[in-house]
Amino acid sequence: MDMLFQFIANGLVSGSFYALSALGLTLIFGLMRVVNFAHGELYMLGGVMGWLTTTVLGLNFFAGLALTILVMGAFGWLADRFLIERVRDQGEEPSILLTIGLSIFLTNTALLLVGTAPLNVEGPLPNKPVFLGPVVLTELRLFAVAACAALILAAHLVIRYTRLGRAMRATFQDAMAARLAGINTARVYASTFALGTILAASAGMLLGSIYSTHVSAGGLVSLKAFVVVILGGMGSFAGAIVGGLILGVAEALWGGYISTGTVDIIGFLIVILTLIFKPYGLFSTQVERA
Amino acid sequence: MRKLILAPIIATALMGATQAQAQDTLKIGLIQPLTGSVAYNGTADANGARLAVKERNANGGVLGKQVELIIEDGQCSPANSVNAAEKLIQRDRVASLVGAFCSSATSAVMPVARKYKVPFLSGVSSEASLTEKGNPYFFRSAETDALLGQAFSKLLADNLDLKKVAYIGVNDDWGRGSVKAFESELSAHGVDTAMVEYFNHGATDFYTLLTKLRSSGADGVFVAAETQDGSTLVKQIKQFGIDMDVFGVGSWATSDFINITGEAAEGIYAAVPYVANQDGERNKKFVKDYATAYDHAPGKYAAAGYNSLNIMMDAIERAGATDADAILGGLKATDYQAPNGRYRFTSKGQGYGFNLVLVQIHDGDIDVVATTRIDNPEADKNNDGQ
Repeated sequence: MDMLFQFIANGLVSGSFYALSALGLTLIFGLMRVVNFAHGELYMLGGVMGWLTTTVLGLNFFAGLALTILVMGAFGWLADRFLIERVRDQGEEPSILLTIGLSIFLTNTALLLVGTAPLNVEGPLPNKPVFLGPVVLTELRLFAVAACAALILAAHLVIRYTRLGRAMRATFQDAMAARLAGINTARVYASTFALGTILAASAGMLLGSIYSTHVSAGGLVSLKAFVVVILGGMGSFAGAIVGGLILGVAEALWGGYISTGTVDIIGFLIVILTLIFKPYGLFSTQVERA
Repeated sequence: MRKLILAPIIATALMGATQAQAQDTLKIGLIQPLTGSVAYNGTADANGARLAVKERNANGGVLGKQVELIIEDGQCSPANSVNAAEKLIQRDRVASLVGAFCSSATSAVMPVARKYKVPFLSGVSSEASLTEKGNPYFFRSAETDALLGQAFSKLLADNLDLKKVAYIGVNDDWGRGSVKAFESELSAHGVDTAMVEYFNHGATDFYTLLTKLRSSGADGVFVAAETQDGSTLVKQIKQFGIDMDVFGVGSWATSDFINITGEAAEGIYAAVPYVANQDGERNKKFVKDYATAYDHAPGKYAAAGYNSLNIMMDAIERAGATDADAILGGLKATDYQAPNGRYRFTSKGQGYGFNLVLVQIHDGDIDVVATTRIDNPEADKNNDGQ
């Protein structure tokens, strides 16, 4: 029984990380309809930035995170204006090819500049164990979960209550009508891509502080994020969060009671079941899109 | 758009230029994982290989020609390693192949080497059955899991006073092979098995695995993992408050592993074929040259890359020709004085005669606990392999 609690706690922790990285993808893939295969690489760049700011430059974690958010936000904005914009409204294939190319380019550039060695991100708290009854966690993990929740909440508030957020929602409901109403949609697309990039990159930095990261970390992250987005429903905020937690707990239980060697099977099983029984995902608010 | 069209043309032109330049060299192909979760270790191997080739070229090369090392990324995956081998053989026309690192990848390249009749040497892949497949083109200058298990199990059982051990390995041929070999050897020394679990390459969160480990009642845990996965796992074992003897195989006894793992590395044991602080003039020179070239001391895989390339170049020199049969003959007659022992091959192409070291990490230093040597496995007739 003690083991069950520990498994669920492990699952919720990794689930909240999945949720944060999937949230960035749900904005880019779910709302903007850009099938972003470079999502994992944006996550990886966040980890590399985290290593650069904390370990190399010696900044503290929060200053490093702020800098990472700034740099990666600018990167996302520019990537959209100079790359994604060229294939907008041309169907999905050009954007798939473009983002696959981008992911290969980013991985190999990072490989060239940073090398293959694992990178440490200095966390804000020591990685000491914390005992909650029978459950063991670390201070850093609890902090990371709280930080995930804070970032998710911040993104939610931006989209719900700011002018930019309203413009985003209008643009993704009907881009033509939004343009007629005077919204600069090019700027909205770029902001959305930048926001998605920031979410992926901060997930990368947070997780880097717990696990250490490396330049080839992106592939697996992309896969898991797609699983969560498909399970939760494209473009759904609640879907990304619930989907992330479900994937995390399902993996922990499968690993705990069946075998850890086959744990990656769970994600694909979830995708297959979702596509058979609930093809639009658990929270399918976007079904009626024209 | 114009730039996009020009790019491949320029690339082809550049490749043409390098090919034309490379007319009078002796080509050796090296397949290593340069990207992916073991990229770090594959790069170390490639660095060692480059150093060996550089030294040889400075001394006049092989058969009067300069050696050209062509390195391809196999990503530790069977499919990519086979592609790399096909490219090296068909397009670059290499005289011989070295590498593939991961046992699963090496195992996939072996039939390709046989098909095209190209000698193939692995300095890393340790899955025991590779040299039992009867492939005459394959040689291995590395310990096998079974040999490592045999050499260390008694040492471990006696030194650490173990009763019950848990086994954790990376989910591939090498990880499964190592776990199996150590489990059967340690069982033969009266150590019970508490748990056997595997994890996938690139996994980051081991808490589920560690939850099981904690309740398994083991007093020691055996881990087969490379630098990246291994350091993450060891860190989490300490975070999780598990107080067990940890001993591992893989790239553990390196300064990088200790840097990344930090305090959590304290007290862990590692079974390795090479550490930089081994005795001997040959090793001192190698460590010095390597450190001059790359600014850090060589680890297990740097030594493996260095040794495998030297063995291959020696063999071609001894053969006096670059055709496959001559090189195979040269490989069979190998007697190579390495930084870590004297390499020779059995009739099946399995290397022996080199050292194995049990080390413990203390205050960031690597202390040698015990040294043993891989003997000729074919000399011991009573020993039935698996």
